[in-house]
Amino acid sequence: MTLLANSGWRIERRASRSSLALISALLAAGTGAILCCSLLFVAAGADPIAAFAALAKGSLGSVRAIADTLVRATPLILTGLATALAFRARLWNIGAEGQVFAGAMFAFWCQSAIGAAPAYIQIPVIVLGGLCGGALFGGLAGLLKARFQVDEVIATVMLNYIIAYVLSLLLQQGPWTEPGGFFEQTAIVPDEAKLPILIEKTRLHLGFVLALVLAAILHVVLHRSPLGYEIRAAGSNLRALQFQGVNAGRLVLVVFVLSGAVAGLAGAFELYGVQHRLKSGTLGGLGYTGIIIAILGQLSPRGVVIAALLFGALLNGSTLMQIKTGVPSALIYAIEAIILMFFLIAWAASRFRLRRLRHVD
Amino acid sequence: MTARLSIRNLSKRFGPVVANDRVSLDVRPGELHCLLGENGAGKSTLSSCLYGLYQPDEGQIIIDGEERRFRSPADAIRAGIGMVHQHFVLVPTFTALENIVVGTGSGWRLDTRAARRQVTELCERHGLRLDLDALIEDLSVGAQQWVEIVKALYLGARVLILDEPTAVLTPQESERLFTLMRRMTDDGLSIILISHKMNEVMQSDRVTVLRRGRVVGTIETRSTTRGQLAQMMIGRQLNPIEVESRGGRWSAVVTISGLSVRDTRGVPVLQDLSLELREGEVLGLAGVAGNGQRELFEAIAGVRRIEAGEIRLDGEAIANLAAAEIARRGVGHIPEDRLRDGLVPDFSIAENMVLGQHWRAPWRRGVLLDGTCVGEHATRSISEFSIVTTGPCEPVRRLSGGNAQKVILARELAKATRCLLCNQPTRGLDIGVIEYVHGQILRKRDEGVAVLLASEELDDLILLSDRIAVIFRGRIMGVLPRCAANIALLGQMMAGTPLEQVA
Amino acid sequence: MWTDLLEAGIMASVLAAAVRIATPILFAALGELVAERAGVYNMGLEGMMLMGAFIGWLATYSSGSALLGLGAAMLAGVLLSLLFAFMVITLQIEQIVTGLALNLFASGLTTYWLRSAFTDMGSIPGITILRNVPIPFLSDIPFVGPILFDQRIVTYLALLSVPAVWLFLYHSRLGLEIRCIGENPKALDIKGHSVALRQYAAVLFGGAMAGLGGACLTVAATAHFVPDMVNGRGWLGLVIVIAGAWTPSRALNAALVFSFLDALQLQIQGVGIRVPYQVLLAMPYVVAIVVMMLRRKAGRAPARLGIPYSRDQS
Repeated sequence: MTLLANSGWRIERRASRSSLALISALLAAGTGAILCCSLLFVAAGADPIAAFAALAKGSLGSVRAIADTLVRATPLILTGLATALAFRARLWNIGAEGQVFAGAMFAFWCQSAIGAAPAYIQIPVIVLGGLCGGALFGGLAGLLKARFQVDEVIATVMLNYIIAYVLSLLLQQGPWTEPGGFFEQTAIVPDEAKLPILIEKTRLHLGFVLALVLAAILHVVLHRSPLGYEIRAAGSNLRALQFQGVNAGRLVLVVFVLSGAVAGLAGAFELYGVQHRLKSGTLGGLGYTGIIIAILGQLSPRGVVIAALLFGALLNGSTLMQIKTGVPSALIYAIEAIILMFFLIAWAASRFRLRRLRHVD
Repeated sequence: MTARLSIRNLSKRFGPVVANDRVSLDVRPGELHCLLGENGAGKSTLSSCLYGLYQPDEGQIIIDGEERRFRSPADAIRAGIGMVHQHFVLVPTFTALENIVVGTGSGWRLDTRAARRQVTELCERHGLRLDLDALIEDLSVGAQQWVEIVKALYLGARVLILDEPTAVLTPQESERLFTLMRRMTDDGLSIILISHKMNEVMQSDRVTVLRRGRVVGTIETRSTTRGQLAQMMIGRQLNPIEVESRGGRWSAVVTISGLSVRDTRGVPVLQDLSLELREGEVLGLAGVAGNGQRELFEAIAGVRRIEAGEIRLDGEAIANLAAAEIARRGVGHIPEDRLRDGLVPDFSIAENMVLGQHWRAPWRRGVLLDGTCVGEHATRSISEFSIVTTGPCEPVRRLSGGNAQKVILARELAKATRCLLCNQPTRGLDIGVIEYVHGQILRKRDEGVAVLLASEELDDLILLSDRIAVIFRGRIMGVLPRCAANIALLGQMMAGTPLEQVA
Repeated sequence: MWTDLLEAGIMASVLAAAVRIATPILFAALGELVAERAGVYNMGLEGMMLMGAFIGWLATYSSGSALLGLGAAMLAGVLLSLLFAFMVITLQIEQIVTGLALNLFASGLTTYWLRSAFTDMGSIPGITILRNVPIPFLSDIPFVGPILFDQRIVTYLALLSVPAVWLFLYHSRLGLEIRCIGENPKALDIKGHSVALRQYAAVLFGGAMAGLGGACLTVAATAHFVPDMVNGRGWLGLVIVIAGAWTPSRALNAALVFSFLDALQLQIQGVGIRVPYQVLLAMPYVVAIVVMMLRRKAGRAPARLGIPYSRDQS
């Protein structure tokens, strides 16, 4: 900084940012991430070009691959939306992770409670169960925040750990354990309860369409409804809202319930659309990836959908990448975080500009 | 006599705005030099350049005949410049001594003993009594100011810049401050006093008047008059508005009785307070900042919980009702900290105009907000209040302070059909906007609305109010009709003497 | 069976285990405490510990020296916190978001690194862990001796860090400056000192301590690295700072409460009391929430915690 100041240049903050800044930040993040990944590929002894090719082929190479990409994107759209909704109000709900579990568990509980029933009853029950489970668990975090002033980051992180143990408890020699089974998992759900497949011979299920519909609904809610107005206002200046008589505690609770409900749906869809049985350990990571997606998507539903599709492709392609080049698919989690870091840095840096000082004597 | 500090042709720009335009001025050793100008005249920018907080684009700063270039406050401090900011820069949870010592000394160890000796010596030399071990948050505002001054002296200041130092003091405390400043200048210290209050300016040795970033002139205070200085400062003749007093004839709109409120730490801030706001009358509220004014406004507006007591609006109890409900009954509230409490900075003007009423009928179409209706309303208000903006969609974050205040004004005046609460509505605004705001407040009064007005500018308060109440430590010291109010009397009451005990 | 727990011998071993288990969290919490006193909320604590655990393990494995492993882990913590500091102090990116990003980054990177270095998950090697170093004479004191004076070297170091951090914060010039920054950074800025420089220093110290704390998990405890093995200890570190009201001594108390629960849990399983292990493992997290609910009595947070400082604003 001092060096720059001496030579008559100065780094300054821009008053406002153009959409060009967003595009260049995205480009910079993309380029940085690709370079970083290439390095990691080389470090793992793989040819970066082959690895990227495998990644692309695995995610977009066939109808099936594309369908699978959409399947992988579905829960990410939902957790991304859930996180974006809360972050918009500057409520740091890190609990989408746990709310996914809660949604899946509650949906499973409801669905197994109604017993044998045709699909047109089972499917709505599952959807409602997922929404309610997530809403209840999200609401718990909201209650801790609104009623007891517990920092929401810590509350949600702790709840994430707790619910994972609760699930494990229910699955291991608990009421939900698969009869005669050895693993921590339930039996396969009945066929009527599986989400309908949209395209034959693929795994693309109804949940994808519902996720898109939900994204559209949330877009309208955020930008056109009084509630969305409050959420956005709370994100910018909660005090001004309180001065006008808006009950902040109630707003916190509402946002957490909504956010949790959306995340819970992700759990229900994963359970009934993809995995078809409740297992411990297979729902993990969806919520945390949702945070990355929400931020990359600029906390807007439209952006979230795009970012989720990109990440769905990455996750889906990584399997083929591991087979073809031997690069562990765990790399994808590192890549996701790297993209996020580059994006944050590039986006923040676009706030600054170099200015030449006039009249320096 | 050679100058202690000279500024030659100093210019500073912020983008297209020229804050200082070729400013030149000299400060002599042992001089009390006043920098006079309106808000936005460039006084603060100039002092920031002198203190190394900003780097000037052009020009020189010469100290004791030697040109200096300040890259940071460290350079300015080394050159012997000290500054007392308008808003104190103290750590409330530190003791006075810690505040003075932090960031000084050398080595790893914190040597408070040596520092204590030096600070005590400094205080004695200037006749200051200071409890060095008291926490700042327990000190009065006046004492906090002493700490700020000692802080600057401890750093070795020979030129001391005081930025609007009396804004938060009682008239008596201000007097003591001037006595102290005189002692310091007699000691050889140079003081630059930034002010816009005429009675203070008249106590200086010389005055430099700034207008729109330029120096209008520097004159010996003895050889000038208030009128001449005011004209230099504003660039035109001031025509004081005549306000007809009309106190005490109308019925009560808001009755407050036995009101008690605690702050977030549980400390009582309002105690058994009673007050009456009457129809078509401005009730002024005088008091040093932090004596419960904010809490009183917030309690009436329903933003703060009331512990005991009653507030009635047109005879109906409104204590602890939701703020939205109180607003619906015709109470408008212009909060003290407009950016923090009154506006959503990322929202457009249009969105800010319906803040708090966003669930209400005219702005709703079905379950959604009616964007067209909200936008039209904003366009009307923008022209009615002559808000300078690119349009209703501009975020208020980009508006100037005066225009932002007009947005709040537009929103709250529309709500205030029975009562208008204005806490420091003109703080930090230009004279033109101040006149406008005053005009709007009087217009509301003439419509029969009960107005509660708090202001640090006692002159304004006396001018606008029909009656004046003085608040001290959460209690009302007395209520005076305007004809009985004068600065000296108000000052005594602001320092805690009840009306009946004032001789 | 429950009464078994109250026997002096078992209690002593529970307490000794509690002190041992407190080591990693204590390191992390003390580092975080200093960073938070400087106004920086390091939510990347979990990730920094994880990176420390991994690098500590890897460096010990490849060098054979646990000391070198600990040093490498501290360095890793410093590097990661340098990135964090650059993002939140220089670029002023939201601290919570950056911290979370760092956690995900550390989690992804360590898992990937582990998988690519050891393709066969079954063959992940263990390392020789640090041994207990009983302090002569002191360790012979009945009851107290084995609890406090028969521990690993890192545990002594962690316990000594408590008064060291206290001395630093309250009796050094830099400590006063750091506390000043957390309350009102401008007060230091206008005296001509760099706020950012001191915040960097505080954050890097926090990173080094988190790295060291993480390394204790592998180098001084389990001998193996398992993905995401920090398992919330970083978050507990954050809770401990809050519960400890931002003071070292109370943070020590809070850390001991959590580690005591953990030690008790191990002992309960040991003496054969039949409680599902999930309930025991979830205990610390439940307690953390309860502690946060009751914390209102605890001290005030630094006034400027989490708010980036720039001279033009505020």
